[in-house]
Amino acid sequence: MSSTPFDPQSHSAAPATAAPPPPLPAGPGSAPFVRLPKSPGLAAFLSLFPGLGQVYNGRIARAFVFFFAWVGSIYLTATGHEFPFAFMIPFVYLFNIIDAWKGANAANARFLGGRSEPDEQLEIESPVWGGSLVLFGVLILFNNLGWLDLARLERWWPLLLIAIGGYFVYASLEARKAAGGSGE
Amino acid sequence: MTRSAFSPEGVTFGVCLVALGVLGTLANLGKLELLPLLRTYWPLSLVLWGALELVDLMLRRSSRGRS
Repeated sequence: MSSTPFDPQSHSAAPATAAPPPPLPAGPGSAPFVRLPKSPGLAAFLSLFPGLGQVYNGRIARAFVFFFAWVGSIYLTATGHEFPFAFMIPFVYLFNIIDAWKGANAANARFLGGRSEPDEQLEIESPVWGGSLVLFGVLILFNNLGWLDLARLERWWPLLLIAIGGYFVYASLEARKAAGGSGE
Repeated sequence: MTRSAFSPEGVTFGVCLVALGVLGTLANLGKLELLPLLRTYWPLSLVLWGALELVDLMLRRSSRGRS
């Protein structure tokens, strides 16, 4: 045979003489890898079907609220209640995706021991949210019972935008005042 | 900073499920028509949710006042 025979010395000598690779320098990039429990991207992707992202985040009640709000809006729009339910379909859909994204981030923050954003949201210190829900519910109930005709208010719907905008301005000014009062 | 005494949306969801179960049973027994009833009275769930949010706010304020 013309080929050179296998020489174990030549192979075993190479690793013995080669210097071991130097250890990587310790720095801020060498922190231990932590696998976060939730993926915000996956949560947002799953919420393309409303409620599924909330199920992934473990918030079942929210999942049902979003699912029924979405299905209910479509049903009521299809049965002739275009106002206000046609406006609610995209609102509920987009809010559902954002909520799933934020819910996953909050779960990760809790996992890492930080303060989660939804906990802050649960501590709404204003009766506006609860009051608005009661008012909205009573208005729709009265409309359903025939005691009130919401269709007559259709031309006044931009006032709702003014009220919401005014509330945001007020809340932002209050937050600024509170930040100034705390020494900033 | 005070935490919520309870979850208003969770309680609302639970109460709505119980109500839906009771109404569904009665509808299956032929005592009432489920769909027209739900179509008319579903805003009561919003009223309940809002009322519980207000109660939760009051409880948090009172517990913060005590501490």
